[in-house]
Amino acid sequence: MHQKLGYNRIIVNTLLFIGGLIIALPFVWMILSSFKTDREVLNIPPTLLPEHFTFQNFIDLFVNMNFGTYLVNTLVIVFFSMFGLLLNTMAGYGFGKFKFRGREPLFILVLLTMMIPGQVTMIPTYLILNELGLTNTMTGIVLPGLISAFNIFLIRQFMSTIPDGLLEAARLDGAGEFYIFFRLILPLSKPILAIQIILTFIGAWNSFLWPLIVANDESLYTLSIGLALLQDQNVTNYGLQMAGATFMVVPILIIFIIFQKYIIEGFNVSGIKE
Amino acid sequence: MDKFKQNIAPYLFIAPAIIVLLLFAILPILIAFGISFTDMNLLGLADWANINFIGFDNFARLFQDKAFIQAIGNTFYYVIIGVPLAVLASFLVALALSYVSNWLSSVFRVVFYMPSITNIVAIAVVWGFLYNKEYGLFNYMLSLINVDAISWLDNPAIAKLSLIMLAVWKSTGVSMLIFLAALQSIPKSYYEAADIDGANGWQKLINITLPSMSFATFFVIVTTLIGWLQFFEEPFVMTEGGPLGSTTSMALFIYQEGFQYSEFGYGAAASFVLFIIIILVTVLQFKLRKSEDKS
Amino acid sequence: MKKKKLGWLSAILFSGALILGACSDDSSGDEGTDSTSSGDDTIQVWTMSADFDKFVAEFEDESGINVEVQTIPWGNVHDKLLTAVASGKGPDVIQIGTTWVAEFAEAGTFLDLTDHIADYPNLNPDNFFDAAVESTQYNGQTVGIPWYVDTRLLFYRTDLLAEAGYPEGPETWDDFLDAATQLTARGDDQYGVDISQGDPQFPFMLAWERGFKYDEAKGSANFEDPAFVDAVKLHNQFFKDDLAQLTEGKELYQAFSDGSKPMFFSGPWEINSINTQIPELEGKWDVHVMPKAENNNSMIGGSHLGIFHNSDNVEGSLKFIDWMADPETQIKWFENIKELPANTTAWENPVLADDPMIATFGEQLESTQAVPVIPEFEKLAQELIKTLEQINHGGADIDASLADFRSEAARILGE
Repeated sequence: MHQKLGYNRIIVNTLLFIGGLIIALPFVWMILSSFKTDREVLNIPPTLLPEHFTFQNFIDLFVNMNFGTYLVNTLVIVFFSMFGLLLNTMAGYGFGKFKFRGREPLFILVLLTMMIPGQVTMIPTYLILNELGLTNTMTGIVLPGLISAFNIFLIRQFMSTIPDGLLEAARLDGAGEFYIFFRLILPLSKPILAIQIILTFIGAWNSFLWPLIVANDESLYTLSIGLALLQDQNVTNYGLQMAGATFMVVPILIIFIIFQKYIIEGFNVSGIKE
Repeated sequence: MDKFKQNIAPYLFIAPAIIVLLLFAILPILIAFGISFTDMNLLGLADWANINFIGFDNFARLFQDKAFIQAIGNTFYYVIIGVPLAVLASFLVALALSYVSNWLSSVFRVVFYMPSITNIVAIAVVWGFLYNKEYGLFNYMLSLINVDAISWLDNPAIAKLSLIMLAVWKSTGVSMLIFLAALQSIPKSYYEAADIDGANGWQKLINITLPSMSFATFFVIVTTLIGWLQFFEEPFVMTEGGPLGSTTSMALFIYQEGFQYSEFGYGAAASFVLFIIIILVTVLQFKLRKSEDKS
Repeated sequence: MKKKKLGWLSAILFSGALILGACSDDSSGDEGTDSTSSGDDTIQVWTMSADFDKFVAEFEDESGINVEVQTIPWGNVHDKLLTAVASGKGPDVIQIGTTWVAEFAEAGTFLDLTDHIADYPNLNPDNFFDAAVESTQYNGQTVGIPWYVDTRLLFYRTDLLAEAGYPEGPETWDDFLDAATQLTARGDDQYGVDISQGDPQFPFMLAWERGFKYDEAKGSANFEDPAFVDAVKLHNQFFKDDLAQLTEGKELYQAFSDGSKPMFFSGPWEINSINTQIPELEGKWDVHVMPKAENNNSMIGGSHLGIFHNSDNVEGSLKFIDWMADPETQIKWFENIKELPANTTAWENPVLADDPMIATFGEQLESTQAVPVIPEFEKLAQELIKTLEQINHGGADIDASLADFRSEAARILGE
């Protein structure tokens, strides 16, 4: 029995290893290419390790980009997107753990918003922002992407892992609804919140279209727009593009590495009755 | 009073999200729906007096447009082959990761997530090389076992499969995380009980793991289907819909025919055809899920 | 019943408060200006060009007009323009890619400059290349002033073309085909030329060179012209005879460098790119004006500067465009970013005239033709690309495919 388990483990490990190697290759290539010369990046067949190791791409990146403002704007968007995440989580909880009139149609309404290509609603959304006087404001940039049906749906599904009995018990103890949400539900939802935080961070960190369309002023631009401008000026400079991509992905990796451990932390139901 | 509080509580929880969605998602969709019955183009956008109501003309034209019919066919092809592959791949990876030791699992979680955060330009360059007919890695590997070179992106039949392969690679990460979280939520006691009953690994998978995480599987299938029905980025960067329109998806058609040329009425109409297909598919899944829950 | 209503009401109030909270937290962007609020001494400019902000500092000093620059990536400027057209909130001065002139002019995006031109000597149409001026005209309106121009010509490997007997590059299309055939015969994976199959202007250039001229009155019947049909046949011959590679193959610079694709057609930016990316080729390549059939016309592209229709600082905007059109400014812009001046006087300056490759571009610019300034052009061009794909890739019959193309063109043109 034990020996069989050992074999299984070796097979799984080997498969993961080979699969992982193939899967990660483009990513690794992207990082390594940021240290290559423009020319080498496009070589066929491609080189994996840089022939002539260079930092020039990163130097160009940092010298030419207006990092200060762009970084601040990007972080502001990240901050508000986390507020949006809270709203999404509340809504997901509302849909998942309550029975109320209009639940089904309202949930369908939420899902509908996932089903149409963004191109179609871009201009109407802009006109609404314009009517509300929100063009060229951070509010106008943040609002269209604040709520995500994907996130609401995800939370709603994971609410089924939390036993209803816990909520009933808390209500009998006289806990208020928001107390229950913040003190009971949120701590219990750590794994799924960790995923939500990762996804929301990535979305906000890469914000591109709305900042560009809503802003009438470069002072509201984000890092992604800065990079796009830099790439525009260096269309054939793939080394620089890879350096930009690498630079953008580092914070994502850090966030991912920090939060991914909560994904498997598990639901520690017994710990709640302290 | 308590009863009242409990009655309004759910509305309080969902209201902020619903209101923002109504304003910035539902209202624009309704406007776009209206536009789909007009001949709106750039002229109409500049001055609404130029917009004419043309009833179902856009829709009638769509179903005579060979490119659109082809795009619908391609989209179904992508979905039918791609969705099972994507769901299965991410599930298997998540399952494998839950078997290995903790630190190894940590490392591979990062590794398998990497495609989701790889820059699209890097993806286009690397996969463009892998698929290159003359110099690509895939054909080189095939030549080692004496298989003739394959036109990965230049042959209409193969190009679709090549894009599916790329998309599965790219999409595995997120679903994998969701499956992982779901796997963790299964109480260990279930497995302990099964061990006592002498269940083998396969039986545990079928009788415990799969049913216990069906809530997550349902989510992944629904969202993956919606995502694949809107398949766009892969053909956009790799083939631009070619060769001969064989990789054009509905979403790409909408972008190219509707919005690149500012034919907003036509594009909106095409979007609503897609919209209706997605709704039907999604509602069907919810119905199936419900009957499953009951049985 | 009453309770439910109250529930809804409080829910709405609650979320309203949340949103307001979110809004009041950030007002950092609110002080930005749009064109309607900008004062007399400020103009807002939308451009796709790098370092524009620094470049206009001199104008700001000279004129006392404050120039607010917003740089927009090329790939997204179409979306940005759409929202500006929809809301009427645009800048004062706007950079216009030549291919969008008709589409946006039809929608009334730009101010007609016809009556203002006389007041500003630099805006005189005689100052610019004729074809560039042609592409600023829409329905009798002048929607912009040429800023910089762009054209295509032949890049070739001097050493390899010398072996084929054309050390100076092919003069005519017959020479070109002869050279390409010889170069292709060098062996497997050797080609004569690289043809970018996604470029819609190239087939038009081939047609122009055979005497094709688009006449708006004739509509889709234009494409019955034998010159146009010949162009399509030539385009197909490149691939049919293996003179050019049909599949993706090697990256272009690599293929140019190793000699497997010793010729290609491209624009002025390529000079710098080749110099920096394949420096080892120095002295082994050159540029040549387009090969000649009836003529050697190339396309003309580039950018104009226009004024948004509801700008409230037309005078300041005109002053700015006048400054940008000045030969001296245009030379400085060329030195800055290597974009070719639209002003012909600027070309007499040694900076341009003494650089042989740039001078060749100057020579080519004398024989250029603008694509028809009609809103439907982009669609026609894409349809043509599809037709060529069916012929070159799918092996479709040329005459039948062209007949299909004509009927599709008729639909696009609303005939």
